[in-house]
Amino acid sequence: MTGPVQFSSRPELRNPTLVAAWSMDAAGLGLSVTDYLVGKLGGQPFCHIEPVDFFALGGVTIDNDLVQFPESRFYACPEKDLVLFQSTPPSHEWYRFMNLVLEVARDYCHVREFYTVGSMVALGPHSAPRQFFATVSSRELKEELAPYGLTREVNYETPPGGRPTLNSFFLWAARRRNIPGANLWVPVPFYLVSSDDPAACKKVLEFLNHRLGLGLDLSDLDEEARALDERIDRIRASSPDVDRYIRKLENNEGLAEGEGEKLAKEVEELLREEED
Amino acid sequence: MGIRLFNEPKLHQPDMVVGWPGIGNIGVITVDTLRQETGAEPLGDIEPWDFFYPNKVVIRGGVLEKLEFPSNKFYYKRLEDRDLLLFIGEEQPSERGRMYAEGGKAYEMANLVLDVAEKFGCRRVYTSGAAVALTHHEMRPRVWAVATDDRLLAEAKGYINTVLMSEAEGRGDFGNITGLNGLLTGVARKRGFEAICLMGEIPDYLSRVPFPYPRASQAVLEVLGFALGVPIDPKALDSMVTQIEGVISNVFRQFPQEVREKIDQRKRDVQTRPGIITDEEERWLKEHIDDLFQRGEKGQ
Repeated sequence: MTGPVQFSSRPELRNPTLVAAWSMDAAGLGLSVTDYLVGKLGGQPFCHIEPVDFFALGGVTIDNDLVQFPESRFYACPEKDLVLFQSTPPSHEWYRFMNLVLEVARDYCHVREFYTVGSMVALGPHSAPRQFFATVSSRELKEELAPYGLTREVNYETPPGGRPTLNSFFLWAARRRNIPGANLWVPVPFYLVSSDDPAACKKVLEFLNHRLGLGLDLSDLDEEARALDERIDRIRASSPDVDRYIRKLENNEGLAEGEGEKLAKEVEELLREEED
Repeated sequence: MGIRLFNEPKLHQPDMVVGWPGIGNIGVITVDTLRQETGAEPLGDIEPWDFFYPNKVVIRGGVLEKLEFPSNKFYYKRLEDRDLLLFIGEEQPSERGRMYAEGGKAYEMANLVLDVAEKFGCRRVYTSGAAVALTHHEMRPRVWAVATDDRLLAEAKGYINTVLMSEAEGRGDFGNITGLNGLLTGVARKRGFEAICLMGEIPDYLSRVPFPYPRASQAVLEVLGFALGVPIDPKALDSMVTQIEGVISNVFRQFPQEVREKIDQRKRDVQTRPGIITDEEERWLKEHIDDLFQRGEKGQ
């Protein structure tokens, strides 16, 4: 393969599963999950897609003084027969980009199925258990995944003026190439979208751990989730407003206009202050 | 990437009329009304996924049922003399998130549209768009024309209510037409087609509003009916025109008096091109127009 797809090595894989994630979703869930897998399973980068055809390269974005640049990279975990793909969402030529990803997945890696990881913004409190569901490419896969308890009877149509997610586009593009797969979704509390959500991360990893037989010990994520809860408890103790808003959510009461925005802003700022 | 034809009728020397969205959606409303008026039938489409991001996903019972993309459809109609081909694009393919197409994707799409024209023996293509003009929303919009050769220009000059672009508002010999409604005429010229772009006038102060401007479509439609020899109901767009004029009038009343007077002056003396809005007034309009239209819409 030539052109925008560049291999740096050729790992030996049998019929792996692909787990794909885009940056910039709520709580950075996709990258958290795939970073975790790369770290725990010793994933090695073996291929990337050159950005020039797919991203507006008129400059760079800066996040917390750090230069950001679009990246689209594959990692291999041959021992677990797993391929991971992380990418900045392309800004144009989406279908061509996805076909390149799927060409690497199918023609080189011989991927048998794939999962994308995504989050969505939820209005519930962080203390409620994370929900977890999937949209799948076929009824067969839906039946196969039924024992994992994540295939709810989701019915959804993009509202007028909206656009489908990149994950839906990817699911559709993969189905055209007869690669079965699912989009995994975890709703993340709206006031955690700018930070990490280890509980959401664990929800996805639990599924992948069982489904793919990864044998991972995920107890460190329980620790992280507990630590985050404690930090939010401290914030609640120091800010009566934050405590009141979260209590409302915990009691299934709606927030008044402006309260949600204030809660998200305060939690984000106070979590950042704690980190500093 | 390609063209999907639903059927392959034998057509007699068809003319093609093409429209994409743009300022006031003048082109696309024109061609869609022409489609409805003539009862044109679906002919085919362009596979959209190489050009567009999808605009709708449907999930049923957790299973992806379908993904929909902006449509790019061809239609045809057999007429007494020359037959008719139509193409309507729901969006312009944009490589960098811009409203108007440019670059490789635009060129590719223009060529695909002309491939279909060529396949069915078409040698003449009309596109339609907007001409931003120092006019008034209560004045009848004229239609500006450009073409790929002098003979066509002479023909266009004979159309009703039509002026050549160079003659409109003393613009001089040079101008440009942004997006695919313009680009297609260039690609058509390169490929040896005859092409005419017909642009309906839209007042400068309405060129940025998120509303269609059906009066201009009506004007272009009238010209197309004349040029193609197709009878078009002159009242075809009346209800849309009435509805939008109500919104525009509401908003216009909220313009500062001096701006209104200057614009109204255009009605009184069309020939001397009065009422040019100053830079400062233009800034005011740009800053307030969205807000005014939102209020105007609610006031309906």
